[in-house]
Amino acid sequence: MASSIKREQTLDKLFSGITFSAAFLILVIIVSIFISLFRESMLAIDAFGFFGFISNTAWDPVRENFGAATTLYGTLITTLLALAMAVPVSLGIAIFITELCPRFLKPIFGTAIELLAAIPSIIYGMWGLFTFAPLMGEYVEPLLQKIFLPIPIIGKLFTGVPLGIDILTTSIILSIMITPFISSIVRDTFALTPVQLKESAYGIGATRWEVVKDVMIPHAKTGIFGSIIIAMGRALGETMAVAFVLGNKHAIATSLLDASATITVTLANEFTEADTDLYLSSLFYLALILLGMNFLLLAIAKTFLARKGKG
Amino acid sequence: MSDPIMTVKKLNFYYQGNVHAVKNMSLEIEKNQVTALIGPSGCGKTTFLRCFNRMHDLYPGHRHEGEIFFENSNLLERTDITELRSRIGMVFQKPTPFPMSVFDNIAYGLKLKGIRNRAELADRVEQALKQAVIWDETKDRLKQSANGLSGGQQQRLVIARALAVEPDVLLFDEPTSALDPISTGKIEELMVKLKQDVTIIIVTHNMQQAARISDQTAFMYMGELIECDKTERMFTNPKQKLTEEYITGRFG
Repeated sequence: MASSIKREQTLDKLFSGITFSAAFLILVIIVSIFISLFRESMLAIDAFGFFGFISNTAWDPVRENFGAATTLYGTLITTLLALAMAVPVSLGIAIFITELCPRFLKPIFGTAIELLAAIPSIIYGMWGLFTFAPLMGEYVEPLLQKIFLPIPIIGKLFTGVPLGIDILTTSIILSIMITPFISSIVRDTFALTPVQLKESAYGIGATRWEVVKDVMIPHAKTGIFGSIIIAMGRALGETMAVAFVLGNKHAIATSLLDASATITVTLANEFTEADTDLYLSSLFYLALILLGMNFLLLAIAKTFLARKGKG
Repeated sequence: MSDPIMTVKKLNFYYQGNVHAVKNMSLEIEKNQVTALIGPSGCGKTTFLRCFNRMHDLYPGHRHEGEIFFENSNLLERTDITELRSRIGMVFQKPTPFPMSVFDNIAYGLKLKGIRNRAELADRVEQALKQAVIWDETKDRLKQSANGLSGGQQQRLVIARALAVEPDVLLFDEPTSALDPISTGKIEELMVKLKQDVTIIIVTHNMQQAARISDQTAFMYMGELIECDKTERMFTNPKQKLTEEYITGRFG
Protein backbone atom coordinates (compact mmCIF):
# COMPACT_ATOMS: atom_id res chain seq x y z
CA MET A 1 0.00 0.00 0.00
CA ALA A 2 2.57 2.53 1.15
CA SER A 3 4.97 1.47 -1.55
CA SER A 4 2.35 2.00 -4.27
CA ILE A 5 1.80 5.56 -3.04
CA LYS A 6 5.51 6.10 -3.08
CA ARG A 7 5.73 4.78 -6.61
CA GLU A 8 2.99 7.15 -7.71
CA GLN A 9 4.85 10.07 -6.16
CA THR A 10 8.05 9.15 -7.97
CA LEU A 11 6.13 8.85 -11.22
CA ASP A 12 4.57 12.24 -10.62
CA LYS A 13 7.95 13.81 -10.04
CA LEU A 14 9.39 12.11 -13.09
CA PHE A 15 6.50 13.34 -15.20
CA SER A 16 6.78 16.94 -14.05
CA GLY A 17 10.55 16.74 -14.56
CA ILE A 18 10.11 15.60 -18.16
CA THR A 19 7.54 18.26 -19.03
CA PHE A 20 9.64 20.93 -17.33
CA SER A 21 12.73 20.07 -19.35
CA ALA A 22 10.69 20.12 -22.54
CA ALA A 23 9.50 23.63 -21.74
CA PHE A 24 12.91 24.74 -20.55
CA LEU A 25 14.48 23.58 -23.81
CA ILE A 26 12.55 26.32 -25.60
CA LEU A 27 14.14 28.99 -23.45
CA VAL A 28 17.59 27.50 -24.01
CA ILE A 29 17.13 27.47 -27.77
CA ILE A 30 15.91 31.06 -27.95
CA VAL A 31 18.65 32.41 -25.74
CA SER A 32 21.34 30.49 -27.57
CA ILE A 33 20.12 31.74 -30.94
CA PHE A 34 20.31 35.29 -29.66
CA ILE A 35 23.78 34.75 -28.22
CA SER A 36 25.22 33.10 -31.31
CA LEU A 37 23.78 35.77 -33.61
CA PHE A 38 25.23 38.41 -31.33
CA ARG A 39 28.66 36.76 -31.25
CA GLU A 40 28.80 36.39 -35.01
CA SER A 41 27.84 40.03 -35.52
CA MET A 42 30.40 41.46 -33.05
CA LEU A 43 32.82 42.34 -35.83
CA ALA A 44 30.20 44.36 -37.69
CA ILE A 45 28.89 45.96 -34.50
CA ASP A 46 32.43 47.14 -33.70
CA ALA A 47 32.94 48.44 -37.21
CA PHE A 48 29.64 50.28 -37.74
CA GLY A 49 27.88 50.71 -34.38
CA PHE A 50 24.07 50.50 -34.13
CA PHE A 51 22.77 53.80 -35.50
CA GLY A 52 25.63 53.98 -37.94
CA PHE A 53 24.60 50.58 -39.31
CA ILE A 54 20.86 51.14 -39.60
CA SER A 55 21.25 54.60 -41.14
CA ASN A 56 23.91 53.66 -43.66
CA THR A 57 22.43 53.21 -47.14
CA ALA A 58 25.54 51.61 -48.60
CA TRP A 59 25.87 47.89 -49.19
CA ASP A 60 29.23 47.62 -50.88
CA PRO A 61 31.07 44.30 -50.55
CA VAL A 62 34.06 45.59 -52.57
CA ARG A 63 34.84 48.49 -50.25
CA GLU A 64 33.51 46.56 -47.26
CA ASN A 65 31.05 49.30 -46.40
CA PHE A 66 27.83 47.79 -45.08
CA GLY A 67 24.60 49.39 -43.82
CA ALA A 68 21.11 48.09 -43.04
CA ALA A 69 19.11 51.11 -44.21
CA THR A 70 18.24 49.77 -47.67
CA THR A 71 17.21 46.29 -46.58
CA LEU A 72 15.41 47.60 -43.51
CA TYR A 73 13.55 49.98 -45.80
CA GLY A 74 12.66 47.19 -48.22
CA THR A 75 11.48 44.98 -45.39
CA LEU A 76 9.32 47.62 -43.75
CA ILE A 77 7.83 49.11 -46.91
CA THR A 78 6.74 45.74 -48.33
CA THR A 79 5.35 44.66 -44.96
CA LEU A 80 3.41 47.86 -44.38
CA LEU A 81 2.00 47.91 -47.91
CA ALA A 82 1.01 44.26 -47.56
CA LEU A 83 -0.78 45.03 -44.29
CA ALA A 84 -2.52 48.06 -45.80
CA MET A 85 -3.96 45.80 -48.48
CA ALA A 86 -4.58 42.69 -46.39
CA VAL A 87 -6.28 44.20 -43.34
CA PRO A 88 -9.38 45.67 -45.04
CA VAL A 89 -9.79 42.62 -47.28
CA SER A 90 -9.44 40.26 -44.32
CA LEU A 91 -11.97 42.20 -42.25
CA GLY A 92 -14.34 41.98 -45.18
CA ILE A 93 -13.81 38.23 -45.44
CA ALA A 94 -14.38 37.76 -41.70
CA ILE A 95 -17.53 39.90 -41.72
CA PHE A 96 -18.91 38.03 -44.71
CA ILE A 97 -18.25 34.61 -43.23
CA THR A 98 -19.66 35.34 -39.78
CA GLU A 99 -22.56 37.60 -40.68
CA LEU A 100 -23.70 37.32 -44.25
CA CYS A 101 -22.64 33.98 -45.66
CA PRO A 102 -25.41 31.37 -46.14
CA ARG A 103 -24.82 28.52 -43.73
CA PHE A 104 -24.02 25.87 -46.34
CA LEU A 105 -21.25 28.05 -47.85
CA LYS A 106 -19.48 28.76 -44.54
CA PRO A 107 -17.36 25.59 -44.40
CA ILE A 108 -16.38 26.04 -48.04
CA PHE A 109 -15.00 29.56 -47.52
CA GLY A 110 -13.51 28.60 -44.17
CA THR A 111 -11.58 25.72 -45.70
CA ALA A 112 -10.51 27.80 -48.69
CA ILE A 113 -8.93 30.34 -46.35
CA GLU A 114 -7.14 27.68 -44.37
CA LEU A 115 -5.87 26.16 -47.63
CA LEU A 116 -4.50 29.54 -48.64
CA ALA A 117 -2.50 29.54 -45.42
CA ALA A 118 -1.23 26.04 -46.15
CA ILE A 119 0.37 26.88 -49.50
CA PRO A 120 4.17 26.70 -49.11
CA SER A 121 5.81 30.07 -49.71
CA ILE A 122 8.06 28.74 -52.47
CA ILE A 123 4.91 28.09 -54.48
CA TYR A 124 3.81 31.67 -54.00
CA GLY A 125 7.27 32.67 -55.22
CA MET A 126 7.11 30.52 -58.34
CA TRP A 127 3.59 31.63 -59.12
CA GLY A 128 4.64 35.20 -58.46
CA LEU A 129 7.61 35.06 -60.80
CA PHE A 130 6.08 33.12 -63.68
CA THR A 131 2.45 34.20 -63.62
CA PHE A 132 1.74 37.17 -61.44
CA ALA A 133 4.77 39.39 -62.11
CA PRO A 134 4.41 39.24 -65.91
CA LEU A 135 0.72 40.02 -65.51
CA MET A 136 1.57 43.01 -63.35
CA GLY A 137 4.34 44.20 -65.67
CA GLU A 138 2.35 43.83 -68.85
CA TYR A 139 -1.13 44.99 -67.88
CA VAL A 140 -1.61 46.31 -64.37
CA GLU A 141 1.42 48.54 -63.91
CA PRO A 142 1.20 50.34 -67.29
CA LEU A 143 -2.43 51.03 -66.46
CA LEU A 144 -1.49 52.40 -63.03
CA GLN A 145 1.13 54.60 -64.67
CA LYS A 146 -1.45 55.89 -67.12
CA ILE A 147 -3.73 56.86 -64.27
CA PHE A 148 -1.29 58.15 -61.66
CA LEU A 149 1.74 59.56 -63.49
CA PRO A 150 0.00 62.82 -64.43
CA ILE A 151 -0.91 63.48 -60.76
CA PRO A 152 1.86 65.59 -59.14
CA ILE A 153 2.99 63.87 -55.94
CA ILE A 154 1.34 60.46 -56.20
CA GLY A 155 2.82 60.13 -59.67
CA LYS A 156 6.30 59.79 -58.16
CA LEU A 157 5.23 56.45 -56.68
CA PHE A 158 4.71 55.00 -60.14
CA THR A 159 7.77 56.12 -62.08
CA GLY A 160 10.20 53.70 -63.72
CA VAL A 161 9.95 50.82 -66.14
CA PRO A 162 7.10 48.48 -65.25
CA LEU A 163 8.81 45.11 -65.11
CA GLY A 164 6.61 43.45 -62.54
CA ILE A 165 9.60 42.56 -60.36
CA ASP A 166 9.14 45.26 -57.77
CA ILE A 167 7.83 46.47 -54.42
CA LEU A 168 4.20 46.59 -55.55
CA THR A 169 4.11 43.01 -56.83
CA THR A 170 5.89 41.77 -53.72
CA SER A 171 3.50 43.58 -51.40
CA ILE A 172 0.49 42.14 -53.16
CA ILE A 173 1.85 38.61 -52.92
CA LEU A 174 2.73 39.15 -49.26
CA SER A 175 -0.75 40.47 -48.62
CA ILE A 176 -2.26 37.34 -50.18
CA MET A 177 -0.04 35.26 -47.91
CA ILE A 178 -1.05 37.02 -44.68
CA THR A 179 -4.74 37.43 -45.45
CA PRO A 180 -5.66 33.96 -44.16
CA PHE A 181 -4.02 34.66 -40.79
CA ILE A 182 -5.85 37.89 -40.21
CA SER A 183 -9.19 36.76 -41.53
CA SER A 184 -9.32 33.47 -39.64
CA ILE A 185 -8.34 35.04 -36.29
CA VAL A 186 -10.76 37.92 -36.79
CA ARG A 187 -13.49 35.50 -37.83
CA ASP A 188 -12.97 33.57 -34.60
CA THR A 189 -13.12 36.72 -32.46
CA PHE A 190 -16.20 37.94 -34.31
CA ALA A 191 -17.86 34.63 -33.53
CA LEU A 192 -17.23 35.32 -29.83
CA THR A 193 -19.38 38.48 -29.84
CA PRO A 194 -22.25 37.70 -27.45
CA VAL A 195 -25.42 37.08 -29.46
CA GLN A 196 -27.47 39.22 -27.08
CA LEU A 197 -25.10 42.13 -27.57
CA LYS A 198 -25.70 42.03 -31.30
CA GLU A 199 -29.43 41.56 -30.81
CA SER A 200 -29.51 44.57 -28.47
CA ALA A 201 -28.14 46.70 -31.26
CA TYR A 202 -30.63 45.26 -33.72
CA GLY A 203 -33.25 45.84 -31.03
CA ILE A 204 -32.86 49.60 -31.14
CA GLY A 205 -33.00 49.73 -34.87
CA ALA A 206 -29.44 49.12 -36.08
CA THR A 207 -28.84 47.65 -39.51
CA ARG A 208 -26.43 44.78 -40.18
CA TRP A 209 -23.64 47.15 -41.20
CA GLU A 210 -24.16 49.30 -38.11
CA VAL A 211 -24.00 46.27 -35.85
CA VAL A 212 -20.74 45.17 -37.48
CA LYS A 213 -19.19 48.63 -37.34
CA ASP A 214 -20.32 49.74 -33.89
CA VAL A 215 -20.58 46.52 -31.91
CA MET A 216 -18.63 43.66 -33.46
CA ILE A 217 -15.48 45.51 -34.54
CA PRO A 218 -15.04 47.38 -31.21
CA HIS A 219 -15.73 44.14 -29.36
CA ALA A 220 -13.14 42.27 -31.44
CA LYS A 221 -10.54 45.05 -31.27
CA THR A 222 -8.01 43.00 -29.36
CA GLY A 223 -8.31 40.04 -31.68
CA ILE A 224 -7.96 42.26 -34.72
CA PHE A 225 -4.85 43.90 -33.29
CA GLY A 226 -3.34 40.55 -32.34
CA SER A 227 -3.96 39.11 -35.78
CA ILE A 228 -2.31 42.13 -37.42
CA ILE A 229 0.78 41.66 -35.27
CA ILE A 230 1.00 37.97 -36.12
CA ALA A 231 0.58 38.75 -39.80
CA MET A 232 3.21 41.48 -39.56
CA GLY A 233 5.68 39.04 -38.05
CA ARG A 234 4.98 36.63 -40.85
CA ALA A 235 5.45 39.30 -43.52
CA LEU A 236 8.67 40.61 -41.98
CA GLY A 237 10.20 37.15 -41.98
CA GLU A 238 8.95 35.93 -45.36
CA THR A 239 11.85 34.93 -47.58
CA MET A 240 11.15 32.56 -50.45
CA ALA A 241 8.22 34.33 -52.07
CA VAL A 242 9.90 37.71 -51.76
CA ALA A 243 13.22 36.47 -53.13
CA PHE A 244 11.54 35.64 -56.44
CA VAL A 245 9.74 38.88 -57.09
CA LEU A 246 11.49 41.78 -55.35
CA GLY A 247 14.58 41.99 -57.56
CA ASN A 248 17.21 42.12 -54.79
CA LYS A 249 18.44 45.64 -55.35
CA HIS A 250 20.16 47.51 -52.51
CA ALA A 251 18.70 50.98 -52.88
CA ILE A 252 16.00 53.07 -51.29
CA ALA A 253 13.38 53.13 -54.00
CA THR A 254 10.81 55.90 -54.01
CA SER A 255 8.74 54.27 -56.73
CA LEU A 256 6.54 51.28 -56.01
CA LEU A 257 7.58 49.95 -59.41
CA ASP A 258 11.22 49.74 -58.39
CA ALA A 259 13.11 46.68 -57.20
CA SER A 260 14.29 46.51 -53.62
CA ALA A 261 15.72 44.02 -51.12
CA THR A 262 14.60 42.77 -47.73
CA ILE A 263 16.71 41.52 -44.86
CA THR A 264 15.63 37.91 -45.29
CA VAL A 265 16.24 37.85 -49.02
CA THR A 266 19.65 39.42 -48.59
CA LEU A 267 20.55 36.75 -46.08
CA ALA A 268 19.34 33.94 -48.32
CA ASN A 269 21.15 35.26 -51.37
CA GLU A 270 24.44 36.49 -50.04
CA PHE A 271 25.75 34.00 -47.50
CA THR A 272 27.36 31.99 -50.23
CA GLU A 273 29.04 35.11 -51.63
CA ALA A 274 30.26 36.51 -48.34
CA ASP A 275 33.99 36.17 -48.84
CA THR A 276 35.25 38.39 -46.03
CA ASP A 277 34.74 38.20 -42.27
CA LEU A 278 33.19 41.65 -42.08
CA TYR A 279 30.74 40.82 -44.92
CA LEU A 280 29.67 37.64 -43.12
CA SER A 281 29.44 39.44 -39.80
CA SER A 282 27.29 42.18 -41.34
CA LEU A 283 24.85 39.56 -42.57
CA PHE A 284 24.61 38.16 -39.07
CA TYR A 285 24.06 41.67 -37.80
CA LEU A 286 21.13 42.04 -40.22
CA ALA A 287 19.68 38.79 -38.90
CA LEU A 288 20.05 40.02 -35.33
CA ILE A 289 18.19 43.23 -36.17
CA LEU A 290 15.37 41.28 -37.81
CA LEU A 291 15.07 38.99 -34.82
CA GLY A 292 15.16 41.94 -32.44
CA MET A 293 12.44 43.66 -34.46
CA ASN A 294 10.19 40.61 -34.36
CA PHE A 295 10.85 40.21 -30.66
CA LEU A 296 9.93 43.83 -30.00
CA LEU A 297 6.75 43.48 -32.04
CA LEU A 298 5.71 40.42 -30.08
CA ALA A 299 6.44 42.18 -26.80
CA ILE A 300 4.28 45.15 -27.81
CA ALA A 301 1.46 42.82 -28.81
CA LYS A 302 1.73 40.83 -25.57
CA THR A 303 1.66 43.85 -23.29
CA PHE A 304 -1.18 45.36 -25.24
CA LEU A 305 -3.22 42.16 -25.08
CA ALA A 306 -2.46 41.70 -21.38
CA ARG A 307 -3.58 45.23 -20.58
CA LYS A 308 -6.72 44.76 -22.65
CA GLY A 309 -7.50 41.48 -20.97
CA LYS A 310 -7.46 43.10 -17.53
CA GLY A 311 -9.54 46.17 -18.46
CA MET B 1 -62.06 49.21 -20.54
CA SER B 2 -60.01 47.01 -22.78
CA ASP B 3 -57.55 49.01 -24.87
CA PRO B 4 -55.14 46.66 -26.59
CA ILE B 5 -52.02 48.08 -28.23
CA MET B 6 -51.32 44.74 -29.86
CA THR B 7 -53.58 41.85 -30.68
CA VAL B 8 -52.14 38.41 -31.34
CA LYS B 9 -54.29 36.15 -33.48
CA LYS B 10 -53.59 32.48 -34.15
CA LEU B 11 -49.84 32.96 -34.04
CA ASN B 12 -47.72 29.96 -34.96
CA PHE B 13 -43.95 29.89 -35.03
CA TYR B 14 -41.66 27.25 -36.47
CA TYR B 15 -37.92 27.02 -35.93
CA GLN B 16 -35.72 25.71 -38.72
CA GLY B 17 -36.54 22.06 -39.37
CA ASN B 18 -40.25 22.61 -38.69
CA VAL B 19 -40.02 22.62 -34.89
CA HIS B 20 -43.38 23.99 -33.83
CA ALA B 21 -42.48 26.25 -30.88
CA VAL B 22 -45.49 28.52 -30.59
CA LYS B 23 -48.90 26.98 -31.23
CA ASN B 24 -51.98 28.91 -32.17
CA MET B 25 -51.54 31.70 -29.64
CA SER B 26 -54.18 34.40 -29.38
CA LEU B 27 -54.11 37.18 -26.81
CA GLU B 28 -54.39 40.90 -26.33
CA ILE B 29 -51.64 43.11 -24.97
CA GLU B 30 -53.18 45.97 -23.02
CA LYS B 31 -51.79 49.43 -23.51
CA ASN B 32 -49.73 50.89 -20.65
CA GLN B 33 -49.93 47.72 -18.66
CA VAL B 34 -47.45 45.01 -17.74
CA THR B 35 -48.10 41.62 -19.27
CA ALA B 36 -46.16 38.74 -17.76
CA LEU B 37 -45.45 35.52 -19.66
CA ILE B 38 -44.85 32.57 -17.36
CA GLY B 39 -44.36 28.87 -17.88
CA PRO B 40 -41.76 26.13 -17.47
CA SER B 41 -38.43 26.27 -19.34
CA GLY B 42 -38.79 25.47 -23.01
CA CYS B 43 -42.51 26.29 -23.14
CA GLY B 44 -41.94 28.86 -25.89
CA LYS B 45 -42.38 32.10 -23.95
CA THR B 46 -39.08 33.64 -25.07
CA THR B 47 -39.74 32.46 -28.62
CA PHE B 48 -43.15 34.13 -28.43
CA LEU B 49 -41.64 37.33 -27.03
CA ARG B 50 -39.09 37.51 -29.84
CA CYS B 51 -41.88 37.44 -32.43
CA PHE B 52 -42.98 40.94 -31.40
CA ASN B 53 -39.82 42.67 -32.62
CA ARG B 54 -39.13 40.19 -35.42
CA MET B 55 -35.85 39.09 -33.81
CA HIS B 56 -36.29 35.70 -35.46
CA ASP B 57 -35.79 37.36 -38.84
CA LEU B 58 -32.06 37.60 -38.10
CA TYR B 59 -31.72 33.88 -38.54
CA PRO B 60 -32.61 32.02 -41.69
CA GLY B 61 -35.07 29.16 -41.85
CA HIS B 62 -37.58 30.30 -39.21
CA ARG B 63 -41.25 30.86 -40.07
CA HIS B 64 -44.17 32.84 -38.66
CA GLU B 65 -47.86 32.25 -39.32
CA GLY B 66 -50.79 34.26 -38.05
CA GLU B 67 -51.10 37.88 -37.06
CA ILE B 68 -49.89 40.40 -34.52
CA PHE B 69 -51.87 43.58 -35.01
CA PHE B 70 -49.97 46.73 -34.12
CA GLU B 71 -50.94 50.16 -35.40
CA ASN B 72 -53.62 48.75 -37.71
CA SER B 73 -51.39 46.34 -39.52
CA ASN B 74 -49.94 42.88 -39.08
CA LEU B 75 -46.39 43.51 -37.87
CA LEU B 76 -45.35 40.08 -39.12
CA GLU B 77 -45.82 41.40 -42.63
CA ARG B 78 -43.95 44.68 -42.18
CA THR B 79 -40.84 45.25 -44.25
CA ASP B 80 -39.42 48.21 -42.32
CA ILE B 81 -38.01 45.98 -39.61
CA THR B 82 -35.37 48.36 -38.25
CA GLU B 83 -38.07 51.03 -37.79
CA LEU B 84 -40.31 48.45 -36.12
CA ARG B 85 -37.53 47.44 -33.74
CA SER B 86 -36.97 51.01 -32.64
CA ARG B 87 -40.68 51.16 -31.74
CA ILE B 88 -40.60 47.85 -29.87
CA GLY B 89 -37.48 47.74 -27.69
CA MET B 90 -35.94 44.73 -25.99
CA VAL B 91 -33.98 44.06 -22.80
CA PHE B 92 -32.21 40.75 -22.29
CA GLN B 93 -31.30 38.43 -19.42
CA LYS B 94 -27.74 39.59 -19.14
CA PRO B 95 -26.97 43.30 -19.29
CA THR B 96 -25.63 44.11 -22.75
CA PRO B 97 -23.88 47.48 -22.65
CA PHE B 98 -22.10 48.26 -25.92
CA PRO B 99 -18.30 48.54 -25.75
CA MET B 100 -18.42 52.36 -25.53
CA SER B 101 -19.00 55.11 -22.97
CA VAL B 102 -22.16 55.48 -20.87
CA PHE B 103 -23.17 58.52 -22.90
CA ASP B 104 -22.53 56.87 -26.26
CA ASN B 105 -24.50 53.80 -25.22
CA ILE B 106 -27.63 55.91 -24.84
CA ALA B 107 -26.87 58.25 -27.73
CA TYR B 108 -26.28 55.32 -30.08
CA GLY B 109 -29.93 54.60 -30.81
CA LEU B 110 -30.61 58.32 -31.23
CA LYS B 111 -27.77 58.68 -33.70
CA LEU B 112 -29.16 55.73 -35.64
CA LYS B 113 -32.40 57.70 -35.87
CA GLY B 114 -30.44 60.57 -37.42
CA ILE B 115 -30.25 62.92 -34.43
CA ARG B 116 -26.92 64.74 -34.74
CA ASN B 117 -27.47 67.95 -32.80
CA ARG B 118 -25.22 67.80 -29.71
CA ALA B 119 -27.49 69.76 -27.39
CA GLU B 120 -30.46 67.62 -28.31
CA LEU B 121 -28.44 64.43 -27.86
CA ALA B 122 -27.25 65.53 -24.40
CA ASP B 123 -30.82 66.41 -23.47
CA ARG B 124 -32.30 63.13 -24.60
CA VAL B 125 -29.52 61.12 -22.96
CA GLU B 126 -30.11 62.85 -19.63
CA GLN B 127 -33.84 62.39 -19.96
CA ALA B 128 -33.49 58.66 -20.69
CA LEU B 129 -31.06 58.11 -17.82
CA LYS B 130 -33.42 59.91 -15.44
CA GLN B 131 -36.35 57.91 -16.71
CA ALA B 132 -34.47 54.69 -15.94
CA VAL B 133 -33.48 56.07 -12.52
CA ILE B 134 -29.76 55.82 -13.13
CA TRP B 135 -28.90 59.47 -13.78
CA ASP B 136 -27.62 60.15 -10.26
CA GLU B 137 -25.25 57.20 -10.44
CA THR B 138 -23.90 57.98 -13.90
CA LYS B 139 -23.96 61.76 -14.33
CA ASP B 140 -20.32 62.06 -13.23
CA ARG B 141 -19.08 59.20 -15.36
CA LEU B 142 -20.83 59.71 -18.69
CA LYS B 143 -17.53 59.60 -20.54
CA GLN B 144 -16.36 56.40 -18.88
CA SER B 145 -16.81 52.92 -20.29
CA ALA B 146 -20.18 51.36 -19.54
CA ASN B 147 -18.42 48.11 -18.67
CA GLY B 148 -17.28 49.69 -15.40
CA LEU B 149 -20.84 49.83 -14.02
CA SER B 150 -22.23 47.10 -11.75
CA GLY B 151 -24.56 44.47 -13.19
CA GLY B 152 -27.69 46.15 -11.85
CA GLN B 153 -26.55 49.55 -13.10
CA GLN B 154 -25.73 48.07 -16.49
CA GLN B 155 -29.21 46.62 -16.73
CA ARG B 156 -30.81 50.00 -15.94
CA LEU B 157 -28.44 51.60 -18.45
CA VAL B 158 -29.65 49.13 -21.06
CA ILE B 159 -33.25 50.00 -20.18
CA ALA B 160 -32.39 53.70 -20.52
CA ARG B 161 -30.86 52.92 -23.91
CA ALA B 162 -34.05 51.21 -25.00
CA LEU B 163 -36.15 54.12 -23.66
CA ALA B 164 -34.08 56.78 -25.39
CA VAL B 165 -35.54 56.01 -28.79
CA GLU B 166 -39.05 56.44 -27.30
CA PRO B 167 -40.54 53.04 -28.03
CA ASP B 168 -44.20 52.17 -27.58
CA VAL B 169 -43.52 48.72 -26.25
CA LEU B 170 -40.63 47.24 -24.25
CA LEU B 171 -39.95 43.51 -24.24
CA PHE B 172 -38.12 42.12 -21.22
CA ASP B 173 -36.64 38.63 -21.42
CA GLU B 174 -36.01 37.59 -17.81
CA PRO B 175 -34.39 40.95 -17.07
CA THR B 176 -33.46 40.19 -13.47
CA SER B 177 -32.37 36.57 -13.62
CA ALA B 178 -28.68 37.58 -13.56
CA LEU B 179 -29.08 40.17 -10.76
CA ASP B 180 -28.99 40.23 -6.97
CA PRO B 181 -32.22 40.86 -4.97
CA ILE B 182 -31.56 44.58 -4.41
CA SER B 183 -30.88 45.29 -8.09
CA THR B 184 -33.89 43.14 -8.93
CA GLY B 185 -36.06 45.26 -6.65
CA LYS B 186 -34.89 48.44 -8.37
CA ILE B 187 -35.64 47.05 -11.82
CA GLU B 188 -39.09 45.89 -10.72
CA GLU B 189 -39.91 49.31 -9.29
CA LEU B 190 -38.70 50.85 -12.50
CA MET B 191 -40.92 48.65 -14.65
CA VAL B 192 -44.01 49.56 -12.65
CA LYS B 193 -43.13 53.24 -12.97
CA LEU B 194 -42.43 52.96 -16.70
CA LYS B 195 -45.84 51.67 -17.65
CA GLN B 196 -47.19 55.22 -17.75
CA ASP B 197 -45.04 55.73 -20.81
CA VAL B 198 -44.67 52.32 -22.41
CA THR B 199 -46.40 49.00 -22.65
CA ILE B 200 -44.38 46.19 -21.10
CA ILE B 201 -44.23 42.49 -21.88
CA ILE B 202 -42.01 40.48 -19.57
CA VAL B 203 -40.91 36.85 -19.63
CA THR B 204 -40.10 35.65 -16.14
CA HIS B 205 -39.32 32.45 -14.30
CA ASN B 206 -40.04 34.13 -11.01
CA MET B 207 -43.72 33.73 -10.12
CA GLN B 208 -43.54 36.27 -7.30
CA GLN B 209 -42.12 38.76 -9.75
CA ALA B 210 -45.04 38.21 -12.12
CA ALA B 211 -47.46 38.60 -9.19
CA ARG B 212 -45.73 41.77 -7.94
CA ILE B 213 -45.43 43.78 -11.10
CA SER B 214 -47.82 42.58 -13.78
CA ASP B 215 -51.40 43.52 -14.51
CA GLN B 216 -52.06 40.60 -16.80
CA THR B 217 -50.43 37.17 -16.80
CA ALA B 218 -50.30 34.58 -19.55
CA PHE B 219 -49.36 31.00 -18.74
CA MET B 220 -47.78 28.96 -21.53
CA TYR B 221 -47.11 25.26 -21.64
CA MET B 222 -45.54 23.26 -24.48
CA GLY B 223 -45.93 26.13 -26.92
CA GLU B 224 -49.60 26.71 -26.15
CA LEU B 225 -51.38 29.42 -24.23
CA ILE B 226 -53.12 27.68 -21.35
CA GLU B 227 -54.63 30.69 -19.65
CA CYS B 228 -54.46 34.46 -19.74
CA ASP B 229 -56.17 36.69 -17.20
CA LYS B 230 -55.78 39.59 -14.80
CA THR B 231 -52.81 38.75 -12.61
CA GLU B 232 -54.82 38.98 -9.43
CA ARG B 233 -57.41 36.49 -10.58
CA MET B 234 -54.78 34.25 -12.15
CA PHE B 235 -52.84 33.85 -8.92
CA THR B 236 -55.79 33.56 -6.57
CA ASN B 237 -58.33 31.70 -8.63
CA PRO B 238 -56.93 30.14 -11.82
CA LYS B 239 -59.47 28.53 -14.13
CA GLN B 240 -57.22 25.78 -15.42
CA LYS B 241 -55.92 22.94 -13.29
CA LEU B 242 -52.54 23.08 -15.07
CA THR B 243 -52.13 26.77 -14.19
CA GLU B 244 -52.91 26.10 -10.57
CA GLU B 245 -50.40 23.27 -10.44
CA TYR B 246 -47.69 25.46 -11.99
CA ILE B 247 -48.18 28.52 -9.82
CA THR B 248 -48.36 26.47 -6.66
CA GLY B 249 -45.04 24.92 -7.63
CA ARG B 250 -46.20 21.37 -8.24
CA PHE B 251 -44.26 21.17 -11.50
CA GLY B 252 -42.02 23.24 -13.75
